Amino acid sequence: MIEAQGISKRYGDFVAVDNLSFEAEAGDVVGFLGPNGAGKTTTMRILTGFMPATDGTAVIGGYDIHEAPLDARRAVGYLPESPPVYPEMDVRGYLVYVSKLKDVPRAKRREAVDRAMERCGLTEVHRRPIGALSKGYRQRVGIAQAIVHEPRVLILDEPTVGLDPNQILEIRELLARLARSDEGGTARTIVLSTHILAEVDAICRRVILIRDGRKVLDQPLEQIRSEQGSLEQAFARLTLGAEAPPAASLTASGSEDGE
Amino acid sequence: MRHLGAIAGRELRSYFVSPMAYAVLAVFSLLAGFFLVMQVLSFNAAIAYLEQTQQLETLDRFNLNEVVVYGYYHVIWIVLLLLVPGLTMGLFSNEKANGTEELLLTSPITIWELVLGKYLAAGAMVTLLIAVVAGFIGILFAYGDPEPLQTAAGLLGLWLLALTYAAIGAFTSSMTPSPLVAFVFSVLVLLMLFFLGFAVDVGMGAQAGGAGADGLLENLRWISSDGHFDELTRGLVDTRSLAYFGFMIGVFLLLTKASVESVRWR
Repeated sequence: MIEAQGISKRYGDFVAVDNLSFEAEAGDVVGFLGPNGAGKTTTMRILTGFMPATDGTAVIGGYDIHEAPLDARRAVGYLPESPPVYPEMDVRGYLVYVSKLKDVPRAKRREAVDRAMERCGLTEVHRRPIGALSKGYRQRVGIAQAIVHEPRVLILDEPTVGLDPNQILEIRELLARLARSDEGGTARTIVLSTHILAEVDAICRRVILIRDGRKVLDQPLEQIRSEQGSLEQAFARLTLGAEAPPAASLTASGSEDGE
Repeated sequence: MRHLGAIAGRELRSYFVSPMAYAVLAVFSLLAGFFLVMQVLSFNAAIAYLEQTQQLETLDRFNLNEVVVYGYYHVIWIVLLLLVPGLTMGLFSNEKANGTEELLLTSPITIWELVLGKYLAAGAMVTLLIAVVAGFIGILFAYGDPEPLQTAAGLLGLWLLALTYAAIGAFTSSMTPSPLVAFVFSVLVLLMLFFLGFAVDVGMGAQAGGAGADGLLENLRWISSDGHFDELTRGLVDTRSLAYFGFMIGVFLLLTKASVESVRWR
């Protein structure tokens, strides 16, 4: 579903993402981890077509992000770090607008919007202006806009940041539900970035760890637990850098059997 | 271009849920009405004076079009210069401030759809302003007999001017996440364009004794909207003037497109 092929992003001399490659299949729930400034958001912005890579490319849902950008973007649902909402619009109006932008056919729009609201628990606030909603609800609206067009790939940048513990649990449950294969449809691929390792433990099946724009770990969660002790230990060792083993030895195995 | 309607529609709706559009419309209507009354009153006073002092020749040349309508259009020009930026300042800057820029640029839409959709909405708002002017001018027809075609040509001039200002406003809005900065910056650009015409006239006057008009000054004069607008208010609908406004709108929409797209180059 996602094939990142040697993605790099350079700003002058600064290398934000350095030759990053990974693959994710339908049904994969990938935790995209790394310290602040490691290049997570930049990578996500490249995959979603917000900006092009300096080098390398990615194929999303069968479409190259640089050669068929509109098709690739149609296949992706994206929740940026802060939900991209218009405070003055009501929830339904906003989701209808997004469904138009995302090319949901007119005849299916109402149904798509209703389903997205139902999944995200927004049905009872559908006429409220988004600006009047709590932060948790606004985050749900952000997730609803990412799934309204039933994308095969979901890319979520810190979906639970700034939420209270109850809201975090709600969003996690929602993501877990979204990860399971659709009623009748194909399974989604979800990539989410987070700083909360417990979140990764709760919903992800695989972890990609990046540091300074480079991939330093790409393994199924069980394998990390059995080989590295725990995710926390792996994260600390690989990102603090002190006695980090060479990245190659860790990435060589396990990246294929993501399921 | 199938997303044009969705983008323009959302933009138009957002105008009417924020107080900004109402404020601009109200202030504009108030000023437009006030200045029309002032024009008419001073016209009446001038006629009374001319009759009293028996200056019949001047009285003969005194008519609604040249005194009231022409002067009125020029006052409205200044009002547009200050208010159109108020309508366009949020077009793109709000998207940056809201973070919705990320939604737009990761959606399967083209930058042109985005720019033209927004411009369409701003163009509709600006057209509303001109409709207000047309309504006020219509009152003159009830009480006098202005030359209809000349009056209409002037309205066309105002409309093209306002559309040009909207394109310039869209461009400045695309360069900053702050609507206020966009507003100040576009008023600045519009004022420069406005004064350019006067400056060139002064420069030409200084050279009048010389051998014909200078090429550079001639070009600067063309870029300034003054002459083109003035021709239209005099009833001269010249394709060169129309081409000028088309050119300016095209250039600034192109610049807007480049500016919106520039997040992708960085």
